[in-house]
Amino acid sequence: MKPRSTRAVLLGGSIVVLLAVLGAAAWIGYEGSSDEAAELFDARLATSARVLAALLAAQPAGDAAAPIVIAVPAPLEAQPHDQPGPLGHPYETKIAFQVLDGDGRLLMRSAAAPPAPYAPPAPGFSTQRHAGRDWRVFSLPSGGRWVQAAERDDVRGELSGKLALAAVAPLIAGIPLVLVLLALLVRYGLAPLAELARRIERRRADSLEPIALPRNTAEIVPVVEALNGLLERVQAAMARERRFTADAAHELRTPLAALKIHAQNAARAGSDAERQASIARMLAGLQRSVRLVEQMLALSRAAASLTPAPQDVSLRQVVEDALDDVLPTLKERSVKVSVAAEPSVADFVVRGERDKLTCLARNLIDNAARYAPRGSSVRVELAQRDGVASLAVWDQGPGIPPELRERVFESYYRIPGSGADGSGLGLAIVREIARQHGGAVRIAEGAAGRGTCVRVTLPGVPG
Amino acid sequence: MRILLVEDDELLGGGIEDALTRARYAVEWVRSGPLALAGLEHGDFDAVVLDLGLPGMDGLEVLRRARAARCNAPVLILSARDTVAQRVAGLDAGADDYLVKPFDVDELLARVRVLQRRARGATSNVLEHGSLRLDLVALSVTCKGQPVVLQRREFMLLQKLLATPGQVLTRAQLEESLYGWNGSVESNALDVHVHNLRKKLYPELIRTVRGVGYVADPPA
Repeated sequence: MKPRSTRAVLLGGSIVVLLAVLGAAAWIGYEGSSDEAAELFDARLATSARVLAALLAAQPAGDAAAPIVIAVPAPLEAQPHDQPGPLGHPYETKIAFQVLDGDGRLLMRSAAAPPAPYAPPAPGFSTQRHAGRDWRVFSLPSGGRWVQAAERDDVRGELSGKLALAAVAPLIAGIPLVLVLLALLVRYGLAPLAELARRIERRRADSLEPIALPRNTAEIVPVVEALNGLLERVQAAMARERRFTADAAHELRTPLAALKIHAQNAARAGSDAERQASIARMLAGLQRSVRLVEQMLALSRAAASLTPAPQDVSLRQVVEDALDDVLPTLKERSVKVSVAAEPSVADFVVRGERDKLTCLARNLIDNAARYAPRGSSVRVELAQRDGVASLAVWDQGPGIPPELRERVFESYYRIPGSGADGSGLGLAIVREIARQHGGAVRIAEGAAGRGTCVRVTLPGVPG
Repeated sequence: MRILLVEDDELLGGGIEDALTRARYAVEWVRSGPLALAGLEHGDFDAVVLDLGLPGMDGLEVLRRARAARCNAPVLILSARDTVAQRVAGLDAGADDYLVKPFDVDELLARVRVLQRRARGATSNVLEHGSLRLDLVALSVTCKGQPVVLQRREFMLLQKLLATPGQVLTRAQLEESLYGWNGSVESNALDVHVHNLRKKLYPELIRTVRGVGYVADPPA
């Protein structure tokens, strides 16, 4: 479904509301003006009747057998529309009157009035139908007679319509102007949004610089800021990926060079013994390359964020799993591992991902076994104090000088001369996993100033 | 011919050592910067294969110091540092050649031969002495057009003598170029090899300089 346009909603909504309100106002104005005009006409009718009654008070009014007919000149039709002239006004209505005796017989009438009485004499206003026309009639009792003043209803209606229309006309005439102004306003108000869309649309996939709009509004600023924040994070992630790839390619070079040279040596060997020796070294090189690639993948996986649903993980279990994994290395190097736990019954539960924590422990123990002398021993220590669980691994290796204790966490950093068939990624992986679990890693001197102690602290789960 | 190999990576170093040894070079392999510098300053090498990322001292620094100490052995840098700027820096520090990892063994051997050729001012990979021809690429020897089968050390000894015709080489120099620092040398081993060479080729090829060593005189 096509999403609704904000501009259309704003504009359409404003137009509907505007037309409804203006229409209602116009209708009320029209009705009100018409009513007022009708009142005015009625009042004039009454005034005319009263003037007539006063004039006729002292006059005989003829008799019912021969009513007097008075000719009232018609208003000047030649007057320009709506303009008063010296001899009258175009709005003059065709006024007619009748004088009746007490029994309702016609004594006198104007020429425009019908020869029969408008209405049976009853005081006040009424509307009567005569000769196919509606008349507005006012009857006034006066000294035993009735004076009835009347005017044609259609003429009154035409006039009051004109009046009312004049009152609402400006309102209606303003509508198109208001609509145009409204459209411009909406367009102006939404311009930053349109500009933002245009700028995002025009971007190349790899252009991640922050967006800056020429004109900001309070509503658009949070959107732009959120967007720029996202761009920044994407850029950082991309830079990390690029660095990872470049580093990986660089790091794979030396083992690949070694593999290649052993393969070539094997191919050109002068004797079976030479060939066997080269193939054996090639296999060792392959194993090392495989391990390097595995560690690269482990680091890449470690760098991915934690699952949204962490579990309770027992560090005791984690250490057991890790020891199973590094068993071949331990055997090969005749390294013994002892595990100590304080308090001895605790499970050392932390929240997180079991696989990652096992990877962390595996790297720590593997490092200890790899860099320590053959036949030495490694001590793994679990502790829980003040809500903090810690995993420490002590080895009897050559130790890490204090000035290198930060550098060894860098990816691919290997201490020169350390035998160097490690990937240089173990501690980087450990730190990344610890960081994601809200913990930290520190390197200290080993027991009695000999070897190394690497300690990981993690927020523990009580219980 | 004696080569100093400086490489801290066990696996790669082992491969290069194998390749050079099989190409009948005597190889000394050291794994750190300071040892490389000591070897350069005190050893007598026909060529040096030098890695740059070394423990103790960077390879470039080793090279600069060795050159400052007037060590003139030809040096081939072997490194993963592959940008133009890095290669230029290596050559300017005193290297004679630069090879980027991963490399081809044949190319490495060819470049080492180039270093040797340049050292003796030659343009050919064949050493000649009268009717004798020693081919450094095929590792073969012919005498009067007939192939002669030589043992590894006999080949190395002949190569060493033919590389500097007319120059007397001491017993110590010759033994070092055959056995290096590590090999145990029986006192008469060198004499046995010389005897065999004279027998397989022709007696007047190698002249004994009593109390000093041996020399291959230029053919008349």
